[in-house]
Amino acid sequence: MTDAKTIETRLKEEAKKLLESGVVSVVLGYGPGYDEKHPMPFAASTPEEAENLVFNEFCTANMARYIGRYPAGTKLAVAVKGADSRAVIVLIQEGKVKREDLVMLGIPFKGLKDQATGREIDEKTTGATYNPVIYDVLLGDLIREAAPSPYTVLAELQSMGRDERWAFWEKELGKCIRCYACRKACPMCYCDPCFVDQTRPQWADKSPNIQGNLMYHLTRFYHLAGRCVDCGECSRACPVNIPLYLFHKEVARECEEMFKQKAGMDINDKPVMVDFKVEDSNDILE
Amino acid sequence: MKKITPEKFPAFVSALLGKGPLWAPVADGETVNFTLISDPVQVTLDFYNTTLSPKGVFFPQSEEIIRYTLGKERIESEAVPTDVKPQVVLGVRPCDVRSFEVMDAIFESGGITDPYWKKRRENTAIIGFAFDTVDPADFYNAFGIHAADERGSDLFLVKQGPDFLIKAITKKGEELLSALGLDDASADDEKYYNEKIARGPELKTRTINLEGAPDKLTRAFDSPYWQKAAMACISCGTCTFVCPTCHCFDINDETLFRKGARRRLWDACMFTNFTLEASGHNPRTKVSQRLRQRVSHKFSYYVKNFEVTSCVGCGRCTRSCPVNIDILSVAEGAIKEGEKQ
Repeated sequence: MTDAKTIETRLKEEAKKLLESGVVSVVLGYGPGYDEKHPMPFAASTPEEAENLVFNEFCTANMARYIGRYPAGTKLAVAVKGADSRAVIVLIQEGKVKREDLVMLGIPFKGLKDQATGREIDEKTTGATYNPVIYDVLLGDLIREAAPSPYTVLAELQSMGRDERWAFWEKELGKCIRCYACRKACPMCYCDPCFVDQTRPQWADKSPNIQGNLMYHLTRFYHLAGRCVDCGECSRACPVNIPLYLFHKEVARECEEMFKQKAGMDINDKPVMVDFKVEDSNDILE
Repeated sequence: MKKITPEKFPAFVSALLGKGPLWAPVADGETVNFTLISDPVQVTLDFYNTTLSPKGVFFPQSEEIIRYTLGKERIESEAVPTDVKPQVVLGVRPCDVRSFEVMDAIFESGGITDPYWKKRRENTAIIGFAFDTVDPADFYNAFGIHAADERGSDLFLVKQGPDFLIKAITKKGEELLSALGLDDASADDEKYYNEKIARGPELKTRTINLEGAPDKLTRAFDSPYWQKAAMACISCGTCTFVCPTCHCFDINDETLFRKGARRRLWDACMFTNFTLEASGHNPRTKVSQRLRQRVSHKFSYYVKNFEVTSCVGCGRCTRSCPVNIDILSVAEGAIKEGEKQ
């Protein structure tokens, strides 16, 4: 695997080239934060600014989140790790951005670390896709090692009975303080306005009570069915450590089982929830 | 001064519980938060600082003001009484203790008195708790607060190896302490405690020069700096919800079938809806405008209104921010911009 320092150097070089030649007007990547363990999402728009780009094992942020900030037609370069590239694919599939407006700077990487705990992030929290699915420029060598299944972590949840599972989610979602960091960190949460912000009618209590929390999270979970790329940003953003990834993984697993398609793996796929095939599984109706 | 050994700790918590409702740090996985406890085993004092600030003790995230029933002809409603029993909050860090004083400015002494805040403040005894280490995000030294600052606490705790030393700071604290049946501390213990307090300022946090900050920030209002500073901001409400001095709220009617309540809820200037007007107009549609508001409110507007900065440097917003926006760096950058203007 190419080390982070080399990736950083190549990221700077590529960004500078792209900005100097005017191929793109903005490069979305990572910049320095208040210390080395806390790099920040960063947009470089001049070759000089590209010098500030960084990359290390703490660069967990999914930069696909920021694509929607720029007016349609803006030429963007985006630094993408495995899951991030899948998020970009979903955005392309859903018509939020055009492939030709993007230069994807692919970062194959294994061993990202959680900023809060310093522990390595593995398939338990994210899809652990090491290689970007699509890219225009590769900033490191592709990783030959196969990524582990993202679903093994679900064993415990699946072994629970219905009541036990309900109690688990009631307890976990009961912690929610409704800061909405999960939806804001999510590259796929771009609805404007989000249903939970609507006031006529108001779909969910604004109080962080259990019925309001369930209404918000369950709706969000299902709205991400077949779209979630398991980047883990929601769970890392959560200030009270709700394991949101577990629900998203379960829904993703079911989608994959029923529709034989994984979100963001092929730019020519249609998202499963907007597509219909005669041979589609009927399990969804059960 | 009294001493609490690990064996006596549960008895100490039980004695506090005997005095009324008790808020204490409770661990849930890796998160520690102030919780209304019922059993001494729930309490942990093995934490750096809580994820959420203790402001919820006085200013709950959701507070019922009126309960109502929607009838065919009319609405039956009643005000929810605000009777608050004497309560205790245990293990509050010095910067958070100061935050209560900062919030008093808006809820009590700013001209309009908030009865909910005031009643709870009057009826609550605060047990402060000295820091032993410094997190890189903290900058409470900038506000004249030190790691073992007793100011604002009724009782103050200091860790001494496995034991705790506890001293009464106010009359309210003295009364509470004498009723807990704890063992007296020795002369050596007292010496240790006093030294710990005296050496509090030696534990250095980051700091920021806030001289002239209110005016400098006003001058930086139209600076393009804010767009740069807000590039990473995802506009969630984490910073304001974990903050001990963010106090903005919204009033909401929440009805289930025909029964409901009018509730006061925490709101956040980082939310798009925060400034959405009934007409549909929204004066703050950009993330940069909202980030500017949060920083300027704390370091400029609040100072102009109440002569105190609405920040205690607890470091929570920096630590909890999903994209690592550091309020100290942002404020520092904006102040510098103001100097240029």
